[in-house]
Amino acid sequence: MSRLRSVAALSVLLASCAFAAPAAPTFTVPITYYKLPNGLKVALSRDTTAPLVVVAVYYHIGFRIEPKNRTGFAHLFEHLMFEGSKNLPKGEFDKLIEGNGGLSNGSTRFDFTNYFEVVPSHVLEDMLWGEADRMKNLALTEENLKNQQGVVGNEVKVNVLNQPYGGFPWLDMPQYANKNWYNAHNFYGDLADIEAATLKDAADFSHTYYAPNNAALALVGDFDEDQAKKWIEKYFAGIPSSKLPPTPDLSEPRQTTEQHFSKTDKLASKPALAIAYHMPERGTPEHYAMVLLDQILLQGDDSLLTQELVKKRGFTDSVDGGINLLGNQFNYQGPMLWIANLVHDSSVKPDQIVTSADSIIDSMRDKPVTKDQLNRALVKFRAHYYQDLTQFGGLGRADLMASYALFDDNPAPINDLENNLRSVTPELIQKTAQEYLRRTNRTILVVEAGAPSKEGAK
Amino acid sequence: MKISMLAILIAASSLIAQEREAAPPLGTPKPFAVPAGDTFTLPNGMKVTLAQYGAVPIVSIRADIAFGHANESADQVWLSDLLIELIKEGTTSLTAQQVANEAARMGGQLNFNAGTDSSSAGIEVLSEFTSDAVKLLGEVLQHPKLPPSELERVRSNLLRQLSVQLATPQAQANQVFAATLYPDHPYGRLFPTETQLKQYGMEDVRKFHAANLGAQRTHLYVVGRFDPAVRKTIETAFADWSAGPPIARSPANSVAKPTLVVVDRPGAVQSTLRIGLPIAVTPADTDYIPLEVTNTLLGGAFTSRITNNIREQKGYTYSPFSQVLARFHTTRWQESADVTTKFTADSIREIFSEVNRLRKDPPDSKELKGIQNLLGGIFVLRNSSNQGIIGQFSFLDLHGLSEDYLKTYVQKVNSVSRADIQRITESYLNPGKMTLVVVGDKAKIEDSLKPYQPKPDR
Repeated sequence: MSRLRSVAALSVLLASCAFAAPAAPTFTVPITYYKLPNGLKVALSRDTTAPLVVVAVYYHIGFRIEPKNRTGFAHLFEHLMFEGSKNLPKGEFDKLIEGNGGLSNGSTRFDFTNYFEVVPSHVLEDMLWGEADRMKNLALTEENLKNQQGVVGNEVKVNVLNQPYGGFPWLDMPQYANKNWYNAHNFYGDLADIEAATLKDAADFSHTYYAPNNAALALVGDFDEDQAKKWIEKYFAGIPSSKLPPTPDLSEPRQTTEQHFSKTDKLASKPALAIAYHMPERGTPEHYAMVLLDQILLQGDDSLLTQELVKKRGFTDSVDGGINLLGNQFNYQGPMLWIANLVHDSSVKPDQIVTSADSIIDSMRDKPVTKDQLNRALVKFRAHYYQDLTQFGGLGRADLMASYALFDDNPAPINDLENNLRSVTPELIQKTAQEYLRRTNRTILVVEAGAPSKEGAK
Repeated sequence: MKISMLAILIAASSLIAQEREAAPPLGTPKPFAVPAGDTFTLPNGMKVTLAQYGAVPIVSIRADIAFGHANESADQVWLSDLLIELIKEGTTSLTAQQVANEAARMGGQLNFNAGTDSSSAGIEVLSEFTSDAVKLLGEVLQHPKLPPSELERVRSNLLRQLSVQLATPQAQANQVFAATLYPDHPYGRLFPTETQLKQYGMEDVRKFHAANLGAQRTHLYVVGRFDPAVRKTIETAFADWSAGPPIARSPANSVAKPTLVVVDRPGAVQSTLRIGLPIAVTPADTDYIPLEVTNTLLGGAFTSRITNNIREQKGYTYSPFSQVLARFHTTRWQESADVTTKFTADSIREIFSEVNRLRKDPPDSKELKGIQNLLGGIFVLRNSSNQGIIGQFSFLDLHGLSEDYLKTYVQKVNSVSRADIQRITESYLNPGKMTLVVVGDKAKIEDSLKPYQPKPDR
């Protein structure tokens, strides 16, 4: 039935034949893209499904390149951006947002820090005004810095220090797998570094990185494009650009020996295991092949590692992971890992799990995947991608637009993602697996359970 | 308490002294209509709701089944989970792997959830596969194989999950909190003992299945973009399902009683707090929406009083929040927070003081209006994604409400008065009747918690 139709559509595209087949419905993101003279990148996408608008401001500064003696500073600074600006003292922007029916948040990732609001459409102008105010006029005080040092300390405690498997593997693995400090330090930060941060650190960081020529603004939702452009001009055009420092060398050396590490988690009652492979560079054909390998090996109940480790061997109830655990396959710019992780019983040894996983991963290197596998991978990707575009008022769409604007100065290629993935052949999958799913390209991290297990307890 | 208020006032007035621009005037709010659902009942009693929504070619399909932990007797805790896990293990005509591959071919995987008042089975697929996905869901729900060969593997997964969950302070706190609030009801039994979980056999699973699943217990939701002809597919795919058992629910009889329970977690850097009480107000009662508004103002928003106090002013915690949780015929209010160990008693004192302040004085109209706007905005957001819309319909179903509840929701939120807020807090949120659970380092916090030890009954 529809199975045949999809496979037919796929092979037509692969062969770029001329005859018309009933193509599966796809979705194209409408995008208007331009830059203000001060360098601010602007990406607009109108969608009138609901009377909402997403306002997303992305700064091209993530935790990767924070100051070396200030681990966790990029994230602490994200908190400080909520602590008041010239026209909106502490708490006032939040009241402006929530008090008019909106929600907001911010997050710090590998290569950007973002701030967003999802608001009823009639509040758009106020959001642009508020975002411009904190880009231009952040107003920090000792008291607010101290307050957020306390809040961030508590964030680290609740997510890492008082949590079994806290930081596993998303925070741990980059520190073990990578060699370059920028990719391998503690991104959440040592509590001592967080406590040591000063107002001067914040001012320097703000002047350097929080400038229009280092930022992208994305709007998604029910707005009038001409009106939005006028407001963007009015509120952002007068903000001066900064002189950006050169980007440090973020590259990782090609890994040639398998790495093994183990740590004891004194709060965990069961052991856990993670395997990480260095990814091909984002945007290359091999990268798209890895996106599909991730779907084939790891995503969903039909994935090969789930079938092997969960269903066949019974080692665990779930194999988790993917590309960029702090985002998605596309919203980063630099070295990245593909990670698979699971929790298991102490009666199962890590070697048994790795041997089993290898029987699957080796098969990707040894022979091409079938058309059927490749097609399922593509359909799974599309369904997830479409969901991502629609969740939370269109935040996922704003995220991709802003990321591509920041990293590539062009958000249009998000409409090529599907075609780029369709161009991946079984041969490219195999070739990519041979280079990137090499055992010598990976790091294995074993977590020993340090808490008394309740196995067998009454 | 007074000092903290004074500090806020001083900070605000000193900043007003600067030349501040006012926020731009807001635009005109756009109208919003709740997406309409087309609901019908099959001859066997299964209810179906279809709603066309969105611009992107995906669809969410979910069957809610009126059974869950609430249907478990004291010696059946997590039998729902065991049953759900076995339903995932294939049908009389398809292996689990065939089901997984079929779901992936459409872009999804079957997601099962064993819930409290209802459980669910659902899938998100590309629109073109709506009809096939309905058929697959029909097959899995009507013809599960429940294979004895998978029982031990699935059981060991649940035992591992139990151990992993109970190693977190949040699960430990939830367990004790629920048990204290609902001592004689399934709502109070969040986790089984390992011994219990090890005793369930296939016969228990089959009996529980026969007693709890069937057409009469099921409501199927299809929301997104789909061919309306799916109605015919549904009528055919579910036509032969037997009516099965009628819906059976037993309301919890819970009475608020002041209690302090401290669970020792030696070395914990934070204390995990649960503070709250059961409330005899259901979503069908006129006080329910005013209770929601009160909760949001008190602790349910970022700009709420408790969050502002213990996070933004004091820095004791990262993500405190309060909530109104509506179960069948009972509701509870609770505040949850993970606070730095040395501020445990301070945090509890501040939470209670915020509740008491609202019992004493109504909020000013500006504060109330902001919270009402926030709830109006969240309502739009909640009704603007496929899964969000299903969640709304499902809420109506559990609580026996008509779609009128959604149509009048925003208007009812906006008609809540300042006096209502004070009356609601005074009537339902008495700190003197609340249960207080603290999971933390007992040796460090015990003395400071003495003031919260309830007085012996007179």
